[in-house]
Amino acid sequence: MDFYAAFEVGFKWFHNNIMTKPEFFIGGLVFIGYMLLRKPIYESFAGFLKASVGMMIWGVGAGGLVNTFRPILAGLNDRFHLNAAVIDPYFGLAAAQKAIEVAGVSLGWTMMALIVGFFWNILLVLLRRFTKIRTVFLTGHVMIQQATTASWLIFFAIPQLQNTNGVICIGLLIGTYWAVFSNLTVEPAQKLTGNADFAVGHQQMGWVWLTSKIAPKVGDPEKSVENINLPRWLQMFNDNVVATGTLMLVFFGIIMLILGEPYMRGIDKAGFPATLSFPIYILSKSFSFAVYLFILLSGVRMFVAELTESFRGITDKLLHGSLPAVDCAVTYGFASPNTVLFGFVCGALGQFTAIAGLLVFNSPIMIITGFVPVFFDNATVAVFANKFGGRRAAAILPFCTGIFQVVGGALAAWYFELYKYGGWHGNIDWDTIWPIFGVLFKNLAIPGVVVVIVLMLVIPQLQYWRSKDKEQYFSCQYSDEPK
Amino acid sequence: MLKVVAACGNGMGSSQIIKMKIEKVFKKLNITASIDHMSVGEAKTAAANYDVVFCSISLINQFVVKNNRTKVIGLVNLLSEQEIEAKIVENDIK
Repeated sequence: MDFYAAFEVGFKWFHNNIMTKPEFFIGGLVFIGYMLLRKPIYESFAGFLKASVGMMIWGVGAGGLVNTFRPILAGLNDRFHLNAAVIDPYFGLAAAQKAIEVAGVSLGWTMMALIVGFFWNILLVLLRRFTKIRTVFLTGHVMIQQATTASWLIFFAIPQLQNTNGVICIGLLIGTYWAVFSNLTVEPAQKLTGNADFAVGHQQMGWVWLTSKIAPKVGDPEKSVENINLPRWLQMFNDNVVATGTLMLVFFGIIMLILGEPYMRGIDKAGFPATLSFPIYILSKSFSFAVYLFILLSGVRMFVAELTESFRGITDKLLHGSLPAVDCAVTYGFASPNTVLFGFVCGALGQFTAIAGLLVFNSPIMIITGFVPVFFDNATVAVFANKFGGRRAAAILPFCTGIFQVVGGALAAWYFELYKYGGWHGNIDWDTIWPIFGVLFKNLAIPGVVVVIVLMLVIPQLQYWRSKDKEQYFSCQYSDEPK
Repeated sequence: MLKVVAACGNGMGSSQIIKMKIEKVFKKLNITASIDHMSVGEAKTAAANYDVVFCSISLINQFVVKNNRTKVIGLVNLLSEQEIEAKIVENDIK
């Protein structure tokens, strides 16, 4: 057997065994990462194992969510010609994963795109003299969600990219977004935290920047949310288990009540025996969404912990003097606790108003509130709005964000056909900025991808060009004093 | 060995960051500890089985622990090793 034939056999084996089993691909990457960081072999093996098992747990959760949802979606469609989608990154993850699999592409490609994006972000920072990028996106679980949704947008819009070229395309695209948009949050984050030296690397980076620009025009930063007393029971929504369970119970409870007992008995014969009463059926069905969500969450947590650790090791070695872009919740320590809840409440009101609007105007897509966007996006918007525009801004901006989340999420779930699997990413940048990107991909194909990447790369150039103090731009030290 | 848990809203991002930072500080102070990270909802029920709970200062009133074992420490800047170190010393954790 000559060399080329051996290579082909090897490649085929790799493709059939590793790429179609993304858990081993990710596990292998973690193993190599740990070895490169000179960790002992037993620790590297443990990393491989935990990453692989974590990803398999994630698969169980995602499958459970989609399967529990299917009869309810079918029922809504059958009785009211209505489709539904939960706007939440984990429901979106499960839906996009399913769609990618149904299209015949492996999730292994998505993970490869994630790695390309991560290294592209690092390269952009290494070349910061030219690119003006100062931040590395390090939020592992968000990178997984965003890489998966971005993969689906590309695979959906440009089917000829369902291959290695597509992986590079997605990697460059998502890596540019991570670099450019986290770079936009440097100034607001540094002003909020008194130069704590981190930027936001999450799902609402565009809106953090927008909020810091709009808030001063909306309200007065002197009149802070701090002095507002919120009712004590709202505190319970800080507990993610309670918040998720409540949301699922309210939304799915109402949907099942509307579909009615006889109908549910008809479509779910196995899960709804004659001896079981309707209220208990509703309770158990609604809570099973929470159950699968937590299974999915714990799987993602397990393997992201390994991934983040090796990413950190790599960036600590490579990039001295750049800022890490981290989870939005890191900013919450710099605001009063009621700012976070205040944003959640105003955003939830915005979402509920918009959902009522969808129903009144007979939208073919119904939106179900998911915990992550309604809580974390709106809390983050409120934290920055309060800093730059006081309580008036902290009320109005999350309310508007809530409306955009629902309307944008409904349009996106419809346009990109993920309503078929009952979920959309649902965080605010993914309800506004990314759907616009997706429409460009769909209509312009590959040139659309190039246009989006180039336009994003222009943003930091404009930022640099407009900054008054060029040295300050790279030192990232911003004073808090109003001009 | 000290049992420590880092908690945040959903148990995904920030608690992982806290965990990595306290690991570093413990190493520096020569304290051996096993550190888990999880969401506030989970950590509330598990808190009594830990010696120390670390979380963002905005979540500190979520924890009501009625024993003399568990200490709850709220952090302003999750990324600041100085703050973590100061609070470990201040709370006399060994």
